[in-house]
Amino acid sequence: MIRLDIVSKSYKIDEETTFYALKDATLEIKEKEFISIIGPSGSGKSTLMHLIGLLDKPSQGELIIQNKKISKLDDDQISSLRNEFVGFVFQQFNLIPKLTVLENILLPTIYARKKLDYNPTEKATELLKKFGLFEKRNTYPNKISGGQQQRVAILRALIMEPKLILADEPTGNLDTKTGREIMELLKELNEKEGMTIAVVTHEADIAKYGKRIVNVRDGKIVK
Amino acid sequence: MYYFIFIIRTAFEDFKRSKLQTFLTSLGIMIGVFAVIMLTALGLGLKKYISDQFDSLGTNTLFIAPGKILEGGSFGASSLLGNRFDVKDLNRLKRVKNITGIAPLSSKSGEAKGTEKSEFVSIFFTSEDFFDITGFSIENGRFFDNTDVEKRSKVLVAGPKIAEKLFGSEIEAIGKKVAIDNVNFLIIGVIKSKGGGGFGGPDYDSYFFGPYTTGYIYNPDKQFIRFAIKAEEKIPLATVKDQINKEMLRRYEEDDFSIVEPTEILSVVNSIFGIMNIVLVAIASISLLVGGIGIMNIMYVTVSDKTREIGIRRAIGARRKDILFQFLIEGIALSIIGGTFGLILAFIGVLIVQNFFPAYIDLPSVLLALGVSSAIGIIFGVLPARKAANLEPVEAIRYE
Repeated sequence: MIRLDIVSKSYKIDEETTFYALKDATLEIKEKEFISIIGPSGSGKSTLMHLIGLLDKPSQGELIIQNKKISKLDDDQISSLRNEFVGFVFQQFNLIPKLTVLENILLPTIYARKKLDYNPTEKATELLKKFGLFEKRNTYPNKISGGQQQRVAILRALIMEPKLILADEPTGNLDTKTGREIMELLKELNEKEGMTIAVVTHEADIAKYGKRIVNVRDGKIVK
Repeated sequence: MYYFIFIIRTAFEDFKRSKLQTFLTSLGIMIGVFAVIMLTALGLGLKKYISDQFDSLGTNTLFIAPGKILEGGSFGASSLLGNRFDVKDLNRLKRVKNITGIAPLSSKSGEAKGTEKSEFVSIFFTSEDFFDITGFSIENGRFFDNTDVEKRSKVLVAGPKIAEKLFGSEIEAIGKKVAIDNVNFLIIGVIKSKGGGGFGGPDYDSYFFGPYTTGYIYNPDKQFIRFAIKAEEKIPLATVKDQINKEMLRRYEEDDFSIVEPTEILSVVNSIFGIMNIVLVAIASISLLVGGIGIMNIMYVTVSDKTREIGIRRAIGARRKDILFQFLIEGIALSIIGGTFGLILAFIGVLIVQNFFPAYIDLPSVLLALGVSSAIGIIFGVLPARKAANLEPVEAIRYE
């Protein structure tokens, strides 16, 4: 589904020195997989995640998503892929504070270019009910708990029915118990709905939820 | 459609959160629009006022003035320096065919003592035809007539304002004596108010009018500053003008006098005020420019405040143009809010001014104001919006 072919991300510090945030990374994520990307901070795992999530472009190498070379796509097409193909879950939840829970969940559909074969509001309502957040639909993000915010973020990631959920330290801002609940949720999505999930973390406990663990260290994929 | 509503709503949600900031930002545009609309309204009012003044003169009226009044479409300086006319000219003009009325004009200013108080006044000394030519009508008493002119009667017809000032009321003034520079006059009538005064035009309501022959007391050389002439309606004005011209040329050089139709003066006045108005509006527009810069400034701040939000929006699929559009709408909304308040303020201002002056706002200036303010929103919003749109998603989302 996603393939990285000897991908590097480098930054020129000055004339002579180039810093490699990620060097010659080769990785394939298959459909319905639950993969954990683990590494200490500064290892390059975030860079890897940004590349997979199409937020950043590789300096060298090729990223292939569903047999499409990303380097051949323009900004609008990449934006569409971010909209339809990936669903993001962030450490800081990244909900928009001035929008209600429901509006936050609907936000990706505002930017959708493809015709949706479902009514967005109905689908959002259905999801909210399923996740026990229906009562909070008209509340603003700062009025609900961190665990609830992260659930809303997951719903926002799910509304476009993406192929891949990309979670960057999803438990980083949550207590252990809530963090575990969120991971259970992701696991359930993978097992019951066949959703492909990639979790980036520095915690071994969290990484364990993945069926495959990829180690990143000093800008390289170790295993 | 939902997309547009959503984006516009987003902008207004932002304003609700920072009402004071929104107000201060749109203040510049508000003042600019207010100034432009107000000046346009005053200009329109002035134009209307002047046309109304000339309209009352009728279409078959001519003025003869010394010197060249109109030179190349503007008022000439020589009209102030030119020779004055005298009784000889009056008698010659009376012989011109197709003239139904002729009014020589001389004036005198002085201190008038009434029963109530003293006032500095002006008297127009003219003939009985003056009232017909200028379209005056009598409110109380009577106009002076030919007999008064022949007898050099010391009688005056008063404007309603001055009658009230000097004697308490218009009725009171009739039959009263008024001393002007130690000459006693009898007030025989008060004219119906002509309105006006204020900006530019003569305030006939504050003048006295007397027989031109009586005016010789102050004017021993028997000179006149102007003649007002009414021509027969059936004869083309140009023909009469030509006849008068021939008569005048027998005594004067081409450059020593002017024969003008009120419409000619009107068009010159209009073009002068038109230019003046354009200049004033152009100056007022500078405040619009400053307002626009204010909007640009605040939009840059907003973009940098919302960097992370831009990153989030990009991460979930917003294209560059979606971001551009969002911020552009915000800039335009700020600008239109300012423009609308400026317009409301100008409406109130014009309502107040209308007590003294016939200022009015017309539809084109309203549309122009709103058009210009949205244009300012676009022009000054586009740079910050482009900055927002061109942020790299990964940089934006990492921004703290």
